[in-house]
Amino acid sequence: MSAYAKPVEVLIDELGRLPGVGPKSAQRIAFHLLKVDAVDTQRLADALQDMKRLVTFCDRCFNIAEDTAKGVKDREVIDLTLGDSDTSLVPGSAGKVLCSICTDSNRDSKVICVVEEPKDVQAIERTGGYKGLYHVLLGVINPLDGVGPEQLKIKELAHRVAAEDIQEVVLCTNPNLEGETTSAFIASKVLAPFGVKVTRLASGLPVGGDLEYADEITLGKALEGRLTMS
Amino acid sequence: MIIRQLSLHNFRSYSDAQFYLAEGLNVVVGPNGIGKTNIVEAICYLSRLKSFRGAPTANLIAKGTQSAVIRAIGERQGREVLIEAEISSGRSKVLVNKQVLKRTKDLLGALQVTVFAPDDLMLIKEGPSGRREYLDDLALALDPNLEPTFSSLDRTLKQRNSLLKQISYKPDEGELATLDVWDKRFAETGEKVVALRRSLVADLVPLINQAYQRLTTTDQVVGLAYQQSWDGELFEAVQKARELDIRRKVTTQGPHRDELLITLNGFESRNEASQGEQRSLALSLKVAAHQLLFQRLGEPPLLLLDDVLSELDDDRAVGLLNNLPKGQTLITSATEIPNLVVPDNVITEFDSLSEADHG
Ligand SMILES: [Zn+2]
Repeated sequence: MSAYAKPVEVLIDELGRLPGVGPKSAQRIAFHLLKVDAVDTQRLADALQDMKRLVTFCDRCFNIAEDTAKGVKDREVIDLTLGDSDTSLVPGSAGKVLCSICTDSNRDSKVICVVEEPKDVQAIERTGGYKGLYHVLLGVINPLDGVGPEQLKIKELAHRVAAEDIQEVVLCTNPNLEGETTSAFIASKVLAPFGVKVTRLASGLPVGGDLEYADEITLGKALEGRLTMS
Repeated sequence: MIIRQLSLHNFRSYSDAQFYLAEGLNVVVGPNGIGKTNIVEAICYLSRLKSFRGAPTANLIAKGTQSAVIRAIGERQGREVLIEAEISSGRSKVLVNKQVLKRTKDLLGALQVTVFAPDDLMLIKEGPSGRREYLDDLALALDPNLEPTFSSLDRTLKQRNSLLKQISYKPDEGELATLDVWDKRFAETGEKVVALRRSLVADLVPLINQAYQRLTTTDQVVGLAYQQSWDGELFEAVQKARELDIRRKVTTQGPHRDELLITLNGFESRNEASQGEQRSLALSLKVAAHQLLFQRLGEPPLLLLDDVLSELDDDRAVGLLNNLPKGQTLITSATEIPNLVVPDNVITEFDSLSEADHG
């Protein structure tokens, strides 16, 4: 079975675990990487490591956030090896990591848009029409995958609605069965007691579609015409 | 749509094969095991993206190869149509006129087929799932836009059953709250599907009686009755059965438990009709569906008769063929077909890879 050198096989195996990469694509990518310069593979390896080290989830909305404290610490290590002892400027790790949207004082902090994944935040940001905050669930209710409400950031959403001065929650899960069900769960079972205004994206998005693939105009219109659920 | 040319590549027993079809009656004659049914299966796949004999997709790909390709060049309303399907163990894809289709429902309707196969007898003899599928497939063929409704019901049921398997005998509040949401969704979609099935049954009653009486030259009356498996509103029935569902870890109420009762002169056909009557009833169900599609869509679906004529005597065979709207037809047979039927095209050459596949 081991037709290739061990390191190549390990790489093909690792690549094959990525979403959307089948064994054939994994092979193609591995052999491509075998041919390119070491500088290029190093850049890819660095990018992967930096992402894991420097990027984390926002402690408030679970969007992706850059962990600046960690970044500075890492630089400190590098500085030390270079013999530079001036490290007094390192800020103390202030505890909470917030994303660029949560820290932007121009955003309307009374509206929360609930999405499934960080990539949906990007899709909505691209429309340029939304000025509120977000809350990323990091998934949807999906019993077939063993995912229930407790595996998602739903409790955290309830805490935010209780603690922050929120006037409207816009449910922007994908318009498919699991997305709709998750929104229905949040509206009827989680937010109902708070008496907060809950809205849903207006129709216009293709049923069974993916927010990520909706074009900006359609998504923008759907956001404008949102419907009140409670 | 009329198919002029069908090409198969690594499909079942065929490594590379091409068949030219006539507009009218095509007859495929050859010994058993030569791959006749595979031709029917390939055409069916282009219409429904599944095997008409319920075979898993992987079985359609020739052994030792990665993917199968079915290509049909045809004509619809004077314009050339090219349908290509690439079936692979991963994701299969379909192209119509070289455009990749994003969703199943975009294909449904491009090519309509009606298949008659010896297995059709199961429609009458076996349990209710085949009869529900008969209604659902017909509803979809009549209106491909219903595809999301049916797939949503199917998936909601799977999700709900999966949740039932995960929750304990004494479910906590969170689990019950999640179940509530699935119940509501299941009931909404379930009621929609039942309404669709009921209206189809009403449309089919006169057609099936006409078909049965012509086929058998009797005046026996065929009855169709949709039997709902619960009382009142589905949402309430599901909520009422919650304890039972949790104990059995399966959804006990809903359209997936319904029955289409078929009677002959008031007697239940499944247990009380003779084998010959059951066969005629099964054929009549198919003829009625074919007629309804013809009425609604304005052109007869491509008719595929797989090894069916051998089950009928010559009179009934001719009776069947003469009572179907004239369109493109493909018949497979191990023996010569009745003399009274004149084919426009006869296929006897098979470029088979092996004879391992049944057909
Ligand atoms: Zn944030």
